[in-house]
Amino acid sequence: MARFRNKKKAVFVKPAKKQSQQNVDHVTGDKIPRSFVFSRLKLPATLKQLQADLRKMMLPYTALNLKEKKRNNLRDFLNVAGPMGVTHFLMLSKTGTSPYLRVARTPQGPTLTFKIQQYSLAVDIIKSQKHPRVPKDLFKNSPLIVLSGFGTGEQHLKLTTIMFQNIFPAIDINTVKLSSCQRIVLLNYNKETKLIDFRHYSIRLQPVGVSRRIRKFVQNHNVPDLRSLQDVSDFITKAGYGSESEGDEEAATVSLASDVGRVNKASTKSAVKLQEIGPRMTLELIKIEDGLCAGTVIFGNSGEKKEQVEEDEEKDDDEDDASKGSEDDMDE
Amino acid sequence: MQEAGQGQRKRKIGNKKGKGKKKMKVFQGSGQKVKMDGKMKKLFRRKARDYNSDDSDDENDIDEMPVKFEKKQSQIKNKEDDEKSSDEEMDDDDADDADGDVGNDGSDDEEEITEHGIMKFSEGSTSFKKAFKKIVKRSGSDDVLGPVLSAHKNLVVKKLAEEAAEKKAKGDARKEKLLLSEKGHVKPDAFSVSHEKLLIGVATKGVVKLFNAVNKAQSSQKGLNPSRSKDAKVIQKRRKEAFFSELGKSPSGSNAKVGTSGNAGDTEGPAWAALRDNYMLTTSKLKDWDKAADEAEATDDFGRQDDSSSEEDD
Repeated sequence: MARFRNKKKAVFVKPAKKQSQQNVDHVTGDKIPRSFVFSRLKLPATLKQLQADLRKMMLPYTALNLKEKKRNNLRDFLNVAGPMGVTHFLMLSKTGTSPYLRVARTPQGPTLTFKIQQYSLAVDIIKSQKHPRVPKDLFKNSPLIVLSGFGTGEQHLKLTTIMFQNIFPAIDINTVKLSSCQRIVLLNYNKETKLIDFRHYSIRLQPVGVSRRIRKFVQNHNVPDLRSLQDVSDFITKAGYGSESEGDEEAATVSLASDVGRVNKASTKSAVKLQEIGPRMTLELIKIEDGLCAGTVIFGNSGEKKEQVEEDEEKDDDEDDASKGSEDDMDE
Repeated sequence: MQEAGQGQRKRKIGNKKGKGKKKMKVFQGSGQKVKMDGKMKKLFRRKARDYNSDDSDDENDIDEMPVKFEKKQSQIKNKEDDEKSSDEEMDDDDADDADGDVGNDGSDDEEEITEHGIMKFSEGSTSFKKAFKKIVKRSGSDDVLGPVLSAHKNLVVKKLAEEAAEKKAKGDARKEKLLLSEKGHVKPDAFSVSHEKLLIGVATKGVVKLFNAVNKAQSSQKGLNPSRSKDAKVIQKRRKEAFFSELGKSPSGSNAKVGTSGNAGDTEGPAWAALRDNYMLTTSKLKDWDKAADEAEATDDFGRQDDSSSEEDD
């Protein structure tokens, strides 16, 4: 009986998911860059926290709970990266002198090596703030990126610019929703010190020209405290003390194309307010390599020869397919 | 010291006993308890002798041993203490000797008595008693180390010092390690606020530029749904128009839309992909990134110039 039935059974083939569609933005059709943030060697606790913060910053197109083991080497990650559509690696490592951040494109490279001069964790920054603000959907969209001061015309800076622009998905200004712009990553290059300030802010929009009291009332939906008032109309007419940074707001006002939230209506003026969410880093570009943690050195900071040697040694340790090329500094 | 006194009292009691036995001897003279076998007598006598001999040996041993101990102890103790203790020791020894003599005398006297052997047994334990007394009498020093064998005192002190040093070294190493692992970790402080404000200003400028660009781009396509094919066509047309009008403009015409593509104050690029710096990079390998830059130089320059002018405006 069963045999006969078998004949009739139609073979169900599960439709293969199109991998390409996952990696492509459904509106603009651009390829979405994805990233892995991981560490190469065992990190101390604070750097682990920094790694977690970086992962959170890279959301949503990153592996938040990526587990790495001691025996995992770069090739393992590379093998996974292909099918998953991962385009960028952010690698944290630590030598005796200082922590390092390597930003690499997969699978071919290039790799930028930064020395982390200073860093503050997101926790530190939140602790330093009086009113930390972390909305629920803050990390649901990828951040904007602002690169400032990189236009000196030097090749390695140009490459750095390109690298960081491509880490986050491109924004098509014709279709983008303003409500999805919640965070911003700033990289500011200082010409004098040759250091890059890395900051991560949340964007908040506030309607301009409304007293603080009314704004709070509309935002919070709470019953206002009218005890001190003679009449209900006083609530609106009585001017509270104005915003403390009224002067700055002139430059930071925008008229919105679409509604953002309940408070900020389209075609009204809104003030842009940024609040830091961390992590905070001060980076120094010390090396650019052609390949993925290998290959010829395109740019090497001559002042950091010693560190570079250390870096190379460390790299040799964790590199299995290191084919070292000759070092030729193009820029200096 | 109290115990020592008690011990002495005990001894005296013992002496009394001895005297009592002497009295017994007197009674014995009456011949009440002399019913004893010769064999038994011999056995008791031998036993007594054994005990006596033990006694004397032990006494010698013990007398010598404590002196040794004292000597070792004296290395640590002050000289005064040393002298005192040695004096005491001497006194004790004398007293002990005297006691021993008394005991011996007693035993000598009571050789014929039946319970003699048993008595001797109690007497024989005097050596142990003495040793015990001596140990008890030695008041525990008030050292940190507590009552430890004096011979090892030096060693223990050394060991403790070593341990402390080791601990300290370990703690230092750990501290250093922690410091090293924390290297570069800075908590935000008050004096960096001005710098932070500057950075926030830069970032705000970028955001404002982007939002203005978005506003400009999206205001043209208001009321049209890009997902509908009919509207999409209209949108395409308008975008094209906007693009060509963009091209026709002179670079100094500082429009925010292109301004975002510049290098300084750079946010996301313009609508047309080729205007972006990463045009070649997103699609193909990064092999000849500098060549690609040369190709796009014309448009790039235009963006850059534009941006510098807008920066000045700001």
